[in-house]
Amino acid sequence: MKLSITALRRQLFASPLDGLITLLLLACSGWLLALLGHWVLALANWKVVASNLPLYLMGLYPAAAYWRPLVLMACLVLLAVLTLLSPRLPRLAVFRWLQRLLPWLWLLALPLGFWLLSGGLGLDPVRTRQWGGLTLTLVVTAGSALLALPLGVLLALGRRSPYPLVHHSSSFYVELIRAVPLISVLFFGQLLIPLFLPSGWTIDRVLRAVLSFAFFAAAYVAEDVRGGLQALPPTQREAAHALGLSVVQTVGLVLLPQALRIALPALTNQLVGLVQNTSLLAILGAVELLGISRSILANPQFIGRYLEVYVWLGVLYWLICTTMTLIARQLEARLGAGAGSPSSG
Amino acid sequence: MVRLLKRLAAVSLVSLLGACAGGAPESMSRLDTVKERGELQCGVSGKLPGFSFLRTDGSYDGIDVDICRAVAAVVLGDSSAVDYRQLSAPERFTALRSGEIDLLSRNTTATLSRDSEGGNGLTFAPVVFYDGQGLMVRADSGIATMEDLEGRTVCVGSGTTTERNLSDAFLAAGVNYNALKFQEKDQVASAYLQGRCESITSDRSGLASMRSGFDDPSAHRILNAVLSKEPLAPATVAGDPRWSDAVRWTIYGLIAAEEFGITSANIQAMVNAAAADPNQAAMRRFLGVDGGLGTKLGLPDDFVVRAVSAVGNYGEIYDRHLGPGSDVPIPRDLNSGYRDGGLHYAPPFN
Amino acid sequence: MPVSTSNPGADHVSRRTTRNLPPGPTPWRSWLLQGLFGLLLLALIGLLLSNLQVNLLRTGQGLGFGWLVQPAGFELSEHWLPYLPGDSYAWALLVGFVNSLRVVGLGLVASTLVGVVAGSASFSTNLLLRQLAFGYVAMVRNVPLLLQLLFWYFVVFLGLSSTPQVWLGGLLSLSNQGVEVLGQRWSVEFGALLAGLTLFTGAYIAEVVRGGITSVPRGQWEAARSLGLGDNVKALRLVVLPQALPAILPGLASQYINLAKNSTLAIAVGYADIYAVSDTTITQTGRAIEGFLVLLLSFLLLDLLISGLMQLLNRMVLRRR
Repeated sequence: MKLSITALRRQLFASPLDGLITLLLLACSGWLLALLGHWVLALANWKVVASNLPLYLMGLYPAAAYWRPLVLMACLVLLAVLTLLSPRLPRLAVFRWLQRLLPWLWLLALPLGFWLLSGGLGLDPVRTRQWGGLTLTLVVTAGSALLALPLGVLLALGRRSPYPLVHHSSSFYVELIRAVPLISVLFFGQLLIPLFLPSGWTIDRVLRAVLSFAFFAAAYVAEDVRGGLQALPPTQREAAHALGLSVVQTVGLVLLPQALRIALPALTNQLVGLVQNTSLLAILGAVELLGISRSILANPQFIGRYLEVYVWLGVLYWLICTTMTLIARQLEARLGAGAGSPSSG
Repeated sequence: MVRLLKRLAAVSLVSLLGACAGGAPESMSRLDTVKERGELQCGVSGKLPGFSFLRTDGSYDGIDVDICRAVAAVVLGDSSAVDYRQLSAPERFTALRSGEIDLLSRNTTATLSRDSEGGNGLTFAPVVFYDGQGLMVRADSGIATMEDLEGRTVCVGSGTTTERNLSDAFLAAGVNYNALKFQEKDQVASAYLQGRCESITSDRSGLASMRSGFDDPSAHRILNAVLSKEPLAPATVAGDPRWSDAVRWTIYGLIAAEEFGITSANIQAMVNAAAADPNQAAMRRFLGVDGGLGTKLGLPDDFVVRAVSAVGNYGEIYDRHLGPGSDVPIPRDLNSGYRDGGLHYAPPFN
Repeated sequence: MPVSTSNPGADHVSRRTTRNLPPGPTPWRSWLLQGLFGLLLLALIGLLLSNLQVNLLRTGQGLGFGWLVQPAGFELSEHWLPYLPGDSYAWALLVGFVNSLRVVGLGLVASTLVGVVAGSASFSTNLLLRQLAFGYVAMVRNVPLLLQLLFWYFVVFLGLSSTPQVWLGGLLSLSNQGVEVLGQRWSVEFGALLAGLTLFTGAYIAEVVRGGITSVPRGQWEAARSLGLGDNVKALRLVVLPQALPAILPGLASQYINLAKNSTLAIAVGYADIYAVSDTTITQTGRAIEGFLVLLLSFLLLDLLISGLMQLLNRMVLRRR
């Protein structure tokens, strides 16, 4: 990526008009950067971020157990860095082992994280009501993504089912959910679900949030997976049939793995969207990352410091979403490289 | 696919049977639900200093929060067994009705339509703060009366009585204005501070609380005009007398404790004295030494002792959050006990 | 909008081939399974509804829509249709719906413009322009829309001075009391919502446009140049974009629907859209279920409007070719 002076000139000043545009853009972005730099270094008061850092990261989690979400987040950061670096690591046996282990480590992080947060098995139990901030954002994202994927696959298969009843009810569900705004689904999940339960029954609030996101995202996942299924040539099915595979084997071993691989980029976008959408819980009073920030802004000590808070949140969300996109691109590249015969899916 | 469907069918059938079997008896009171759960779910604002807000260390603080703590101390014996649920004004009644929270302690004005079955279907506990709606303007704006707001913009929190009172009062006065609505108080404050609206309306205590957080509180003035009566009270869902009585008498207990001169500091001494002296009949009933008053409510007999030990009497609570030394000093005026010319008055504990 | 099979009675064999799923079981088993599935579905719905009825009875409220004709009693900060607090809830909801329509309608046009410009800019020969286009998309797509809206409203629009600043020879006048564009006066809430939605949706549309342009063979650019349409912008506008249009339109349609759904975040910046009005209505009347149904219906209507519009557009494009 080395640019010589002449190449740069050709890229930026090819014609007088081009040159003018370049200069104008340079001036504009330079001005904005200078403004931003001045604000960040001279005008902003970062006390609102610094003195509330535990709240942003962990919400109302008991202070004595702060190390637990912190360990979890450190693990996630380490895993993310390792995953992103893994293609560039020197070709040593240790690293090759690591590469093979990485997917399992990611899978392991989920139960481990859940155990760390909720306690039990030797750790003091911590109720979900005490979860908050970034921790809650991550929990809701991970939980709903895990649920939405199988649900979405079921719906996609349902839409392509030969049974009219199954086909139509899945279609109805997918179309209905895709037609309504997320905030109304969340409103339903947070405030109306209890009206539909027998008296005395309750579902944990965090679980309800996870379920609402999962049921919402599942409709979108279903469309992506359906797109993947449609992209497969009919010969795949015929070949599987000729091999004597049963219906379930054909779907599970032949069609789905390929369809999911095709749908992977779209699914990644859904995941990134999911992280961002968790911020809507703030409108309904949950204390996830954005919600807790709004509470902090209401503290008389920090009133009016919203620009600092919004910039800090923006950077945090941006880092998380970008990291996730990069990891997913790497996964796509790795799966794309192995495209040929579907491995045991 | 077939097997998948079969599995789905089996799962749904099991969950269906579970759902049918799990239906609890209709007559169960919230009081039992809370005891069984071991935790009180309390709806608060979380964004209003003095009433309920989040401290830097992650704990909630304020008058509304202390009411939740007192009820938890009485019902569960542990004032920290509270699950605080932050609610925006528009959601609070839905959350209560749907059973999402047991108790709403969120500077809520008691009104007829909120109390009635045809309206929001709530039952209000005794008033914990007598307030009135006011208007705040910049001191240098030259606005002194409601009429000066002709053609100006007023910022207001949505889904509140404030919104309706504003409309009623300005209509009656024949003043035209624009209302700009926000979900949260901090948003209302931001919009006002940035000059989006010339005036801001809310309960006068809320305005004082808000102003105390401004960079220069003296640059803002609360107008003399009072648009409405705002008795702020906790609420429970209607149709559950056992639960609402438990909440009601807990709050009366806090008010009566101040009348008796019982504080969190001297309560143990008072209990000991009453237990030793059979002549202090009223005090013995009040503190649960005899009389079995708590049992009648489905509460422990010493419920007042539990409440006052946990949060202090009403006067202590007030001073802690709204007294002269607090972050949000508001004169007690109407909120004094009846002997001092205020409105707080507890019925007899007989 | 994805098309579902409109003819349930069509013979199984041909449908199975089009859906490339393996052949199903014998007919009687198929009916048995479907019957079971249907029964379960019905039982579940019935159970939920009976729970709802019990719960509503317990709090003393049945279901009903009589409240729609009662006076709303709340003020709306801006309205296209005439509105007074004494008007009915039904009218207030309609006013909110029209407010939604207004922001969605303008948002559609503005975000399409932004998206097409940003999407095309990523093919520019100018390195800086190209990188800025990529940077814009990468930045906007990775930050939650709600946060962006709060930023636009509380930081940008409310941060303006209270005396109007006039730009572009009077075409644009900005102050924190209101925005005036081409003689049209908007509130800053509307302005912030429109700006946030436009830039957010614009980034997604830019990706759709970029995908569409990539699908046009490279040779078309060269052909355009050899025809004398030497200027890149001209080649793009006259030759490449029209060919990319059929690939762009479906993606555009789903982005438009997303825009409409995202407009409900108006509640965070104080704009009286349909969600904000129904939220207030639910609080005042306590009619959560009914208010929720009204909200759902209005969104189904909005979606129908947008997909109808897109079909019209699609037909126009096809006819022109």
